Parts: sequence; structure tokens; C-alpha cells
Amino acid sequence: MVEFKDVSVTYSSGVDALNKVNLKINDGDFAFIVGSSGAGKSTLIKLILKEIDATSGVVTVNGFNLSKLRRGKVPKLRRTIGVVFQDFRLIPTMTVYENIAFVLRVIDAPAKYIRSRVPYVISLVGLTDKSKAYPTELSGGEQQRVALARALVNDPKLIIADEPTGNIDPALSYEIVELLKGINECGTTILMVTHEHDIVRHFGGRIINLNKGVISFDEVVGGKAK
Amino acid sequence: MRVSSMRYLVGQGFKSIWKNRMMSFASFCIILVSLLMVGLSVLMSLNLSKIISGIEDKSEAIVQIKDGITEEQREKLTKDIITLPNVNELTFYSKEEAWKSMVEDMTQEEQDLFKYADDNPLPDTFKMTVIDITKMSETTAQISALDNVESVKSPTSFTDMLISIQRVITIISIAIILALVLVCLIIISNTTRASVFARRKEINIMKYVGATNTFIKIPFFIEGMIVGILAAGCALFLTKFAYEGVYKIFSTDFSLWAVLGMQNLYSFDSLFKAVLISYAIAGALIGAIGTSISTGKHLKV
Repeated sequence: MVEFKDVSVTYSSGVDALNKVNLKINDGDFAFIVGSSGAGKSTLIKLILKEIDATSGVVTVNGFNLSKLRRGKVPKLRRTIGVVFQDFRLIPTMTVYENIAFVLRVIDAPAKYIRSRVPYVISLVGLTDKSKAYPTELSGGEQQRVALARALVNDPKLIIADEPTGNIDPALSYEIVELLKGINECGTTILMVTHEHDIVRHFGGRIINLNKGVISFDEVVGGKAK
Repeated sequence: MRVSSMRYLVGQGFKSIWKNRMMSFASFCIILVSLLMVGLSVLMSLNLSKIISGIEDKSEAIVQIKDGITEEQREKLTKDIITLPNVNELTFYSKEEAWKSMVEDMTQEEQDLFKYADDNPLPDTFKMTVIDITKMSETTAQISALDNVESVKSPTSFTDMLISIQRVITIISIAIILALVLVCLIIISNTTRASVFARRKEINIMKYVGATNTFIKIPFFIEGMIVGILAAGCALFLTKFAYEGVYKIFSTDFSLWAVLGMQNLYSFDSLFKAVLISYAIAGALIGAIGTSISTGKHLKV
């Protein structure tokens, strides 16, 4: 669960990125966050990941009160969140399998668990036959699926997808969002930041529109897909 | 931390050395040179102190007493000298004894010549050894100032020279150590910065998926430590080589050096363990501290 209570962020440059934002995303929700650039979408995500702290107000993520969370405990918070980036951020020197296993290694998971869990998530995103390939040998859509598998692998409660379709063909974009929908149906909360209105219109669901640091629209809209 | 994770981290450390081999080699060289210079100057100073203490044991100052003083005056003088803080041992050597041993050292001709001398021209003396040879001149001055002392003779010029050499070496070694430690830390932290940069993508992802700071830092730490230990191993080998070369020169050319007590030099074998341990610890520490400075500064985890 993600909850913002009167959250404001003012950067040291004097820019007000968020202004008294109130927002609640329940477990199991799927929400699109839309808005033009500079509206505060990135700030919102940075707050959830505790890359930055709110200037005022309270942010609660998966039971952690972020204003009270000490630096040393941040890894604990982040282990409950999976992140997918626009530019994939796969490690080019590692195979698909290694890229995903890497996540489990750095959170000190048992080797045996890694050996069974990684092939499973690779099969979920349909890349079993590519597990020994390197990222550069894959298409953009495939790379983003690897990134998705990586976000999934430690079974997070919440997945944040930051413009996950921004760098891939429109046709493949739908595929990615459908995968996210599928993951959501298994109980994972999904927050997807996007500015592709076609996708939002197609899938529908909860849409949160940020405009100049304020939520201007937050409603559930029916999509064409249903 | 699991064994499998530890193995993974150590592996990452090794890989990173190879990936940044130019910078690793630079760190290796600088640690090697530093250890060598520091190690050799410490060994030199160690041997010099040994030589000096050898001379200290042997070197005596001779206190000549004025002629014709009474028994009480002499006893008072003995007490005065022995209570000086730096005086170790004091033995009285009467003019008769001195005469006897002098005559024994003479050639037959000289003995014949002195046979008829009815008056003993030698003074009564004390032979004195000191605790700290570096304070020899101070002690001699104190004794000279006492009543009934004719003169004090001590082998100061040679020991003074040795002592000033030792002092210079000590100062130089300290300066070298400080400068080199600084240079080492700078170079190593640069190396680490290069390998942090090379692995920035991995580190970024590690941060997002919730790796702890320790987990992110360990490979760099290990990288620094391995480089340090490798350099220490090499330095040990080179030190042995250099030391034994010098040792050989001093121990074969007796005519010159034996006089100075050079047979007292430590053999490398007797120092091996100490050198090994201090090199290994110093190498590993320099490597590890160097990396942690820059991981703290550049990772911001």
C-alpha cells in the first residue's frame, strides 16, 4: 500500500515539485500516473523509493513510514518494491539469467532458491529459450521483459514501472502492459508512469493525473480492452 | 551473510581487478614501492640501533682523577658519579694497575727504558659505562664539573656520527612513510573510483533492489585488499633479495666492518616473520582503507 498525506516537495533550487499531494493506492491496485513532463511524476517515484525525502507530509509505503525510516533500513524497503525503467538498465556483460539472478544474489538469497526461482520468472515473461542470451542480442521488447522479470524475481508487493514502454515499438508496448496486468492479477500492486495516452485509453483502470505538482484527476476509467 | 554470497562477492572483487587492470597495476606498484622503501629504511634503522647498542656495551668513558686526593675525597667522587642518572657501571682503576697493564703492553725495549722510572706518571682513573650513549656528552660534561676530576675521555665522535645517522634515517623514514601512505591512499581511491565507474550500472541496480551498503562495498574492499596483499608478497621477496645482498657485503668484508661490530647485523631469516606479517597487514590495510575512502565518497549508497 502506498499512501501520501499532504506531501510537498520543494527542491533546493526552489522548485515546488509536489504540493500537498494526498494519494492512496491499495494493495492489488493497478494505477496509471500520467502528466506532462515537470508535473512531478518522477518526484513521486523518487519519494516512494526514498531516493529523496518529502519536505513536508507523510509517505507510507508497504508499512514503512518513510519520514521515520533510517538510511540503513532503506534496503529493507526497497526489497518490497520492484522497479522497471524506461531504459531497461540491464547489465550488458551478464546474460538474461545472470541479470535476474543478480538481484537475488545481492539480497543474499540462498543459492538453491536462486536456481529454482530464476528459470520460473523467465518462463513467466516467455523468454526461456533466451535465458543464455546477452541483452544486446535481444529486441527492445524482449529486454523490457527481462527487466520485468528482474523486478518480479524477489516477489515484491509493489512494482513501479517508470515509462516502461517509452523505448520500445508501440506494438510491443501493449505486450508489456499486458504482462503487467497479468502480474497485477496475481496480487501485486502496480504503479505505471506513462505519457502514452493511447495505452491508458486502451487498458483503462485507475488514472492519476499530475499537473504542476497537484493531482488534477484521479478516477477509474473503463478501457477498450475489457 | 551466506557462504555462496561471500564466494560471489570475492569473485566480483577478483573480476574487478582484472577489468581495471591498468589501475590495479598502478595501485600494486605504488603499494609495492611504498612497502619496500618503508621496510628497507626500518630494517636499516633497526640494524643501526643494534650496532650502536653493541658499541654502547663496549664503549667506556675514562675519568681521570686529580693526583694526591684523599681516600674520603675519592669515595665522595665515586658516590657523586654513580648517582648521575645516565651512569651504568663504574670501576676504579688505580694508577698501579694502569701502570702494570701498560707495562705489559710494552715491547721489551720500552720496558727496559721504563724500568728505572721510580715515579708512576699515570693517574688514578674510573672506567665508566653509560646507559644511554646518546647522552654521553651530557654525562661527560657533568662529570667534568665535579671536584677532583682531572679530565673525562669518551669515544664521542664516532658514536655521535652513528647517532646522527640514525636520527636522520628515522626522520627520513617517518617523512617517507607519511608521504607514501598519502600517495597510496590517493592512487587507490582513484582506482576504486574507476572501478565504481565501470560498475555504476550494477551498483545502481543493486541500490534499487535493496542491496545493503556493505554488500555493495565488499567487492571493492576485497579488490583493494587483494592488490595490497599481492604487493606485500612481492615486496617481501624483493626485500629479502636486497637485504641479503647488503648483508653479504657486510659479512664478507671483515677487515672494514668487523671492527664496527657489523657481524651483529640481523640475519633476514630472523626477521622474516616480522617482515611478512607487517607487510601483509600494511598492504591489506592500505588497500582496504584506500577503497573505503572512495566507496564512501563516490557510492553514496
